Amino acid sequence: MLEVVGLAAGYLGEKVVEDIDLEVETGEAVAIVGSNGAGKTTLFRAIAGLLPALEGRVVLDGRDLTRRPAYRRARAGIAYVPAERHLFPAMTVKTNLLLGAYPRRPDRETLELVYELFPRLKERLRQQAGTLSGGEQQMLAVARALVARPRLLLLDEPTTGLAPIVAQAAFEALQDLKRKGVTLLIAEQQVPLALSVADRGYVLENGRIRLQGTPAELERNPEVRRAYLGVA
Amino acid sequence: MKAVVFDGVVLGLAFGLLGVGMTLVYGLGGVLNLAYGQIVVVGAIAISLLMDDGAPTALAAVVGVLAATALAVLLDLTLMRPVYRQEGEERTLLGLLLTLGAAFVVAGLLNWRYPTGALYINVAGDPVSILGVPMSRGSIWASAIALAVAALLLLFFGATTFGRGVRSVIQDEIGAQLVGINPSSVRTVIFAMSGALAGIVAITHSMSGPLTVTAGFELTVFALIVTVVGGLGSVAGAFLAGVLLGVVNALSVHYIGQYITSVILLGAAALTLLVRPRGLLGR
Repeated sequence: MLEVVGLAAGYLGEKVVEDIDLEVETGEAVAIVGSNGAGKTTLFRAIAGLLPALEGRVVLDGRDLTRRPAYRRARAGIAYVPAERHLFPAMTVKTNLLLGAYPRRPDRETLELVYELFPRLKERLRQQAGTLSGGEQQMLAVARALVARPRLLLLDEPTTGLAPIVAQAAFEALQDLKRKGVTLLIAEQQVPLALSVADRGYVLENGRIRLQGTPAELERNPEVRRAYLGVA
Repeated sequence: MKAVVFDGVVLGLAFGLLGVGMTLVYGLGGVLNLAYGQIVVVGAIAISLLMDDGAPTALAAVVGVLAATALAVLLDLTLMRPVYRQEGEERTLLGLLLTLGAAFVVAGLLNWRYPTGALYINVAGDPVSILGVPMSRGSIWASAIALAVAALLLLFFGATTFGRGVRSVIQDEIGAQLVGINPSSVRTVIFAMSGALAGIVAITHSMSGPLTVTAGFELTVFALIVTVVGGLGSVAGAFLAGVLLGVVNALSVHYIGQYITSVILLGAAALTLLVRPRGLLGR
């Protein structure tokens, strides 16, 4: 469904990521793992269209979106949830959710699904988004992305700023999402968590993809074990 | 005293509309439109020319509002494009410089072509008593129009999808793009709205006294003060600040004198910002 071919992106003409080839199939959960500074966020911003591609292509369902601005890619079905969330802080939870489906209104079914996934949000519909806790803001960011019924959900470091137990709960919610058939591409530093939900993973190092495979293959790889899983 | 306060409210409602037009554009893209007063004047001169040619007042007023709207959209599609390609402080600074330049050009052209131009919409009829104060029909019409426009604006921003979209761009431009909103087209629509508001202010302002061709810069300064006091980007704040400053303005004109009024207005603005640095309703 998503094909990224030979993608390079960066800032002021300097490439931060390059030669990126990756694919996500419908219904799949794919993890991009790598340490801080490996280029995960740059890669996601380029897929979402917030950063222009210096080389290569981003294709969704056979449509080349490489030259499309971010808002067009959102409408085409790429929902990007950045680590900084970019919620609308002075609006209520409800209004944030309504805006997720802009310019339409979210249908009742989708809203029900979102409330079922995140009952906490349903309790706080009238509260301003800026006053939510970090975990709740993360839920709202994911929920806002979901109400548009995206083809693909891009989650950048969904555990940023969350306490370990909340991060664990967040990944359980992602398992739920995956069971509901949402296609996921997740960037995560916490490799064991990411591999627990993914069907396949890519290891990003210094802006290039170094390894790819199923979670089992990656967990067996001695380099991955040493660098990311904390085992010798 | 009551009469003075009422006059202030009438003036303040017009200030409020001006402030809203200014604050929306600022909130969306960080640009303070220093040519804003000139857009009001262009609307006013268009109306007065049409009325001199014998057009009915209502028709002239509609054309005037359209002229002001067109000028604002023209600014957005030309001068503002390079501004919005910049970010942060550079954007603000370039926006100030270019709109100030546009203000001088428009003011110069208007003064050259229509040196004695002025708009005065005389609303016939005897004064009406409001709470024991005789108010001119013009003032009542001006206030009614301003209040109706304010109500429409609040409804628009609170209850429509596009209105929510506009607020989302004000609060987080990247977030807005991520939900599928095109900030650039939202900005064009808002520039058009601010132009229409300028045209409406030209009408309401000239119902209680003549609006002359030289009023542009003074109107811009009023709009700036109202915007800052109300809280940048806040529609309700701009109205509240407009009314408060209108009353302060009327009181100081009445009890102290015309010449020192702008000092008093700026003083009131400074005082508000000392107490509430982000403005009355600013975040």
